[in-house]
Amino acid sequence: MEKVIVSDSPHIRGKRTTRGIMLDVVIALLPAAVMGCVFFGVNALVTILISVAASVATEFVYSLCLKKKPLEIIRSFDFTSVVTGLLLAMCLPSHVKWYVPLISAIFAIAVVKMLFGGTGKNIVNPAITGRVFAFIAFQSMMVSGWVAPTIAALDGNVATGATELTSMLGGNAASVSLLDMFLGTGMMGCIGETCKLALLIGGIYLVVRKVIKWQFPVTYIVVEGFVAVCLAKFDFAQFLPSILSGGLFLGAIFMATDYVTSPNSTAGNYVYFVALGVLTAVLRAATKIEVVSFVILLMNLLVPLINAYIRPRPFGAPGLVERIRAKIEAKKAAKAAKEEGGKQ
Amino acid sequence: MKARNGKFFSRGVHFRDMKFISKDCPISRLEAPNIASIALQQHIGKPAAPVVAVGDTVKCGQLIAKADGFVSANIYSSVAGKVIAIEKRANPRGGMDTHVVISRDIDADDTFVPLEPLKEKTKETIIARIAEAGIVGMGGAGFPTFIKLSPKTPVDTLIINAAECEPYLTCDYRLMVEQTDKLVEGFRLIAKALGVSHIIVGVEKNKPDAISLFEKYDDLDVVILRKRYPMGSEKHLIYCCTGRRVPPGKLPADAGCVVQNIATSYAVYEAVELNKPLFERVVTVSGQCVENPANLIVRFGTSFDFMLEKCGGIKGDIGMIIDGGPMMGATMLSTDYYTRKTDSGLLLLPASEVSLSNPTPCISCGSCARVCPMHLMPMDIDFYTQAGDYIMAKERGGVLNCIECGSCAYVCPASRALVQSIQLCKQKLREMK
Repeated sequence: MEKVIVSDSPHIRGKRTTRGIMLDVVIALLPAAVMGCVFFGVNALVTILISVAASVATEFVYSLCLKKKPLEIIRSFDFTSVVTGLLLAMCLPSHVKWYVPLISAIFAIAVVKMLFGGTGKNIVNPAITGRVFAFIAFQSMMVSGWVAPTIAALDGNVATGATELTSMLGGNAASVSLLDMFLGTGMMGCIGETCKLALLIGGIYLVVRKVIKWQFPVTYIVVEGFVAVCLAKFDFAQFLPSILSGGLFLGAIFMATDYVTSPNSTAGNYVYFVALGVLTAVLRAATKIEVVSFVILLMNLLVPLINAYIRPRPFGAPGLVERIRAKIEAKKAAKAAKEEGGKQ
Repeated sequence: MKARNGKFFSRGVHFRDMKFISKDCPISRLEAPNIASIALQQHIGKPAAPVVAVGDTVKCGQLIAKADGFVSANIYSSVAGKVIAIEKRANPRGGMDTHVVISRDIDADDTFVPLEPLKEKTKETIIARIAEAGIVGMGGAGFPTFIKLSPKTPVDTLIINAAECEPYLTCDYRLMVEQTDKLVEGFRLIAKALGVSHIIVGVEKNKPDAISLFEKYDDLDVVILRKRYPMGSEKHLIYCCTGRRVPPGKLPADAGCVVQNIATSYAVYEAVELNKPLFERVVTVSGQCVENPANLIVRFGTSFDFMLEKCGGIKGDIGMIIDGGPMMGATMLSTDYYTRKTDSGLLLLPASEVSLSNPTPCISCGSCARVCPMHLMPMDIDFYTQAGDYIMAKERGGVLNCIECGSCAYVCPASRALVQSIQLCKQKLREMK
């Protein structure tokens, strides 16, 4: 008899692996990354490359410090650091100095991800936290000095100084058309967030590959839009500008759907995404700045709570209605028994 | 009765059923082995107590071990010959069982000694006969059938599990198409023993010829089930056939149903009508690495080596030997083990078909929760079990409701050993009691 494998059941498994899923996410991010490079030129490309390289290198060095063998680290490489690096670069402006993506990526991987135990153990999304870190540490660079994209708006309008979202939240009328907002032409903003079309293509790819469910990002975007409409005294013209400006698409499709930092159950996910939508709209109106990354960070921290309280009901267990009905009947029976006892 | 479509349960997994390999091989009889090594533990419960000693001459169909206690089953000799040893031998599941080893007398008659014929077929006599013949659930669980036929709560429906949802296995399918009349007679006998008149046969869609054969009988309610693993799980079969849900921690009888398997029904027919004790069954020998796949009637105690030899031996590079189906069966180090009542298949798969990857960290993707047919949270069970917090695994993950079907581990992108975590957790919880 030749060598045979002895393993635990089940002995056949699906073909999907963590590495495969992460590769799918990288592929889905590529259209938006390419559009970022087209709009914002070489600077964008350099930022992306620095961020990805720093993420991968940090993970490698950190693993070396944990006394893992280099070959073993390479063999177990699962592309999560590439995803983190890419996502981080996509939510940075193209005009930041070279050390901003570098330091943010090191912070995201070393502190947020590896310090908590590596892949799957982080409690908040590393890319989001990296962005928030950059926002706080290099604030002047992150909120001003925006560069206009190489492709001007279709209607020839000149972009104003601030990003479209902050200018709109400040009470100004939209300076570019909705189509421009969707395509990202003439829009200022972070590298990966302006071209909604590219993000949407990536999102559809993830849905087709069954990496994410379409319902979740759609919930986030639609809820955000509606709450924004409500806050603008039911001005429905605000719906599309609100969802198309800023980093909502990037956050909803790629950041909030991160497996590790979103709830496990389907019902829990709906709670999470609805809360994200409401909080984003409310805080945008209150603070007049883009808050998607802060809101996702905040909700990441609430995920353990959602996981603890919102869990599926085991197959065959009575539903809420049945349980209430059973309780009422039990009370009735107890009452009847009491009355009968009283009569005697 | 005209077949109707069954309900469908959400979740579960779908894969290629691989039944084409042995689907068209008619059932053939494997000759009696020269050495039969019959385990005394072929069922759930206490091992049977041997009633023969080394040196005794036994006939085929003679009682060699008596049920010891209530949850146990009689065991009969499958060959005529001499008992040469009663010793501990390894079983395919990794443990050691006492085996009665019988050396076959080549000149002796291999036909069995019949049990005493039943004078009348009533509820009680049928159940007594099933207990006497040593019939257990032959789908894999091995729970003594007579106990299942005396439920504590009233039942109104007998459900026949003809789903055969494990890939590769075709032994039930072959019985359905070749021995339909006898099988239906077996269903009727079980229904009589239960005192019910409603017989539902749940067949998966991928066996259309079996469905059309069962449709010809007017007293059968044939239900066409969607192809989805684990359709053969009792709770899900009951839901799909009747729409009733078995509450967590309850038995099928609490929903008014009793579920029996095809092979068991056939054994009941043989025991009642032919007075034959249970000493052989149909086993599928299949997989890409078997020269001539087959569905064989095999006497218990026949070594897998012997079966494989009769099927032409191994073809190509073998990766894994499985006792039972690939989802819930056990892998074996070699084919040096012996058939038991619960063995429905012997599979030889190439390395390319089986899983080899090592576990990587859980990324909380939720795939396991999305496919869990019991609507549990396998990732939580795994997490808390690894952390040693079995109580939380019970409360948060609902580990005690798990049917160990393996759907979660099948889809897990991180190749986590979820089923083993669950089994470990259940074991620890039992120890804590």
